[in-house]
Amino acid sequence: MSNIVLAIARDEWRYWRRSSLAQTVLVIALTLAIASVWVTHSSISQSAEQRQHMQSAAEHTFTDQPDRHPHRMVHYGHYLFRSPPPLGTLDPGVDAFTGNAIFLEGHRHNSATFADQKQSSGLTWLSKLTPAFVMQILTPLLLIVLGFGVMTREREAGTLDFLKVQGVSPSVLLAGKGVALAGAGILVLVPLVVGAVMTLLNGAALLMVVSFIASYLLYLAIWCGVVLLVSTLATSNSTSFSGLIAVWILLCLVLPRVASNTASVMVASPGKLETDFAVLQQMRQIGDGHNASDPAFKALERSLLAEYNVDSVEDLPVNFRGVVAQYSEAEQTKVLNEFAAQQMRQQTSQADIARQFGWLSPMIAIQNASMKLAGTDLENYHRFLREAEKVRFDFVQSLNTLQAEAMTTAQDTNRYRSAEANRAATVSADNWQILNNFHFTPLSPQQRFSGSLLAFVQLCFVLAMVLGFTLLAGRRI
Amino acid sequence: MSWLDIRRETTFVLRRKSVVILLISGLVLSLFSVWTGSMDVAQQRATIERLLEADKQDREEVIQKHSGYGEAAYYSFHLTYAEPSSLAFAALGVRDVYPWKHRVRMLALEGQIHESDTQNPELALAGRIDFAFVIAVFAPLLLILLLHDMRASERAAGRHDFLTVTARSSFWLLRAGFIVTALWLALIIPFIGGAIVNGVSASLISLVALTVAVYLLGWAALCYWVSRFRFPAPVLASFLLGVWLLTSFIIPAVGDVVIEETYQGPAGGDILMTQREAVNAAWDLPHHITMDAFEASHPQWEGKTQTSSLFEWKWYYAFQQIGDEKARPLSQAYQQTAEDRYNAAGWVAWLSPATLLQRTLTHWAQTDAPAAWQYERDVREFHAELRHFYYPLLFNGREYSAAALEERPTFKPNADD
Repeated sequence: MSNIVLAIARDEWRYWRRSSLAQTVLVIALTLAIASVWVTHSSISQSAEQRQHMQSAAEHTFTDQPDRHPHRMVHYGHYLFRSPPPLGTLDPGVDAFTGNAIFLEGHRHNSATFADQKQSSGLTWLSKLTPAFVMQILTPLLLIVLGFGVMTREREAGTLDFLKVQGVSPSVLLAGKGVALAGAGILVLVPLVVGAVMTLLNGAALLMVVSFIASYLLYLAIWCGVVLLVSTLATSNSTSFSGLIAVWILLCLVLPRVASNTASVMVASPGKLETDFAVLQQMRQIGDGHNASDPAFKALERSLLAEYNVDSVEDLPVNFRGVVAQYSEAEQTKVLNEFAAQQMRQQTSQADIARQFGWLSPMIAIQNASMKLAGTDLENYHRFLREAEKVRFDFVQSLNTLQAEAMTTAQDTNRYRSAEANRAATVSADNWQILNNFHFTPLSPQQRFSGSLLAFVQLCFVLAMVLGFTLLAGRRI
Repeated sequence: MSWLDIRRETTFVLRRKSVVILLISGLVLSLFSVWTGSMDVAQQRATIERLLEADKQDREEVIQKHSGYGEAAYYSFHLTYAEPSSLAFAALGVRDVYPWKHRVRMLALEGQIHESDTQNPELALAGRIDFAFVIAVFAPLLLILLLHDMRASERAAGRHDFLTVTARSSFWLLRAGFIVTALWLALIIPFIGGAIVNGVSASLISLVALTVAVYLLGWAALCYWVSRFRFPAPVLASFLLGVWLLTSFIIPAVGDVVIEETYQGPAGGDILMTQREAVNAAWDLPHHITMDAFEASHPQWEGKTQTSSLFEWKWYYAFQQIGDEKARPLSQAYQQTAEDRYNAAGWVAWLSPATLLQRTLTHWAQTDAPAAWQYERDVREFHAELRHFYYPLLFNGREYSAAALEERPTFKPNADD
């Protein structure tokens, strides 16, 4: 029986070899697939290198700063750059739409700046030459052009009855045609697979690479199924073709955008600018950490005086201004984190709504699976923001501790009185060695895999539906 | 061609289920895009309203808390924004990627203006359906599906030669014309409704309607021409689809790669780092070095820049400005790269009607990249106004009076309209 399946598939391939239409689209699709892998790989590796370079430059300039007052370093601040993960060379995901540099300083959450998209030609509003785009949008079209007639052609030429008389059961016929289509899909998938295997050398986890490829195989299987199904149901070549194109338009072009519109209309996400007002309001209640005489810090002063059993802040063994800076930074960070978490939650719930459309459109499901596995989705971007915040809080607080312990309150307060007083409130540059080498790593392979499960289930669900209907339709042949 | 001909063709065309389905889907999609586009723009307007209110209140609180021009300038933020135009609902453009609202203060601007308060990146990646998308991308597909088999289907039904012999020569044109008109109406009626609600001027509405008609006619002419070839319908459709795919997707995507390679500029990170170094280094420099540089670009304050203590606000704002001046060449180069790329893309757009249409509509709607740059220039101008408001107060050593702050400049959006 498997011989018959293969024979049918081989016959279909022979037909494609003789058809100039089929050959043209295959060559175009393969060229695009190869070009996309190459172009994306080189541009992402280039920006990864650039960002890594800027990251180490930023760390060096920080540690190379001269002796100065610690609070100056709090505002001198530090930069973090987000380098793309290995599989990001195949699916850059949201990379171009998010800022890739973030400035860290005391008492503020700055947003990530300089999204690549802001310097783009504007031509990529529909498509970018990435493997993800070629595989998710163009390859289904290739399968349609190749396969719209797999069943209708036999029907129109009258060879279908012939096959039936010869004892070829409908399911075997469908299987053979399906194998033929899958062969074409796999051929176009080869550049992506080669690219994915190459990312193993750059440190991608095996589990990720395997499931990345598996998700695309599932996706192609769905489209092979859709083509078979429509071709089986249609009465003529031309209705099959038109029907398939309509399905493609709906699933690949319309639904993803409908999902995006729906999500943003359903969940309002006020920008950072707007929540910043609320943040400022709460921050003022906590008190301005620059001003140790802010009434907000009276309680802190009292408890500190009691603890050290002294009468005035000048008699404290620690610098009261530094203690205030520590205290207010910690309190303010709580508020900042709360609002940041709230914004992330809103964005995630928007994304979740859009992702539910994956039950309807396999294109949305594969896009999510692919981004999640590559580590270039919204959650990984949020992870970057959270890690950046951790780095920010740590270096700011160690500088504040330094301020509290390396000088007296009087020295700190009088630092603008004279050049000499200024020197007394200065600490040695040796203290700037507080940064660790930052290198952004996405979520662990297990986490990314479990994050992609919904999309996998959606793909499997759609595949099961399509195969089920195809088999049902096959009975009627 | 008589009234009777038209009626006969209308009933014939409308009796075909596929035609009706395609026309209705065009109508539905157009409605959806206009509706969500209007919602989006309404949200943007509401956001601006809320921001304006909160911004004012915030500045008032700051004034009550501080009593010095230097401090007031340090703690007061000023809202700047670019309001969506009336046509923005039809072409949302790049407002989901480029910032259209900033709160700035008198500190070095390069450290503030590149912040982006943008929306959900995952939704931005998926793209949006707006009216521009429906027309530029979706409408040609509908036309292809509607027109490619005009003759081939009649041929398959065996009526083709009969029709050619009996009907007048304008028969095929009449049928195609009817379909194009019906599609144009299905797409444009929701737009006109939305445009009226959003307050678009009548001349702009007719301009858009006309442009859409020209665009549709262009694609229809291509479909009509291709439909004459004696190939089976799927081959004709594949050919048309190929043209659509090539011009709408592949030429822009390849053009983008070429343009990005051709025009390279400084990395954004470099601007920020340069500005930060300049600003921070000033703390450790003798004041007169900063002040000499400041006098060079602001000669009107010559002789008023001496400082008598280690920290003075006028010195502080002078080095903020010097930081900006040091980063300006880089910042200009960055902007130049963006403009070069966008202008080069204008040439590519001539090979891609969809892109050309999208650029045209977003240009009219002021939602394209040049509009975003204009906003950035407006912010820079406002920042300069703000500085020149405070400089006399700081450099002349004026006594603090909260009343003087009432004269502070306020940002006027879309100033050049």
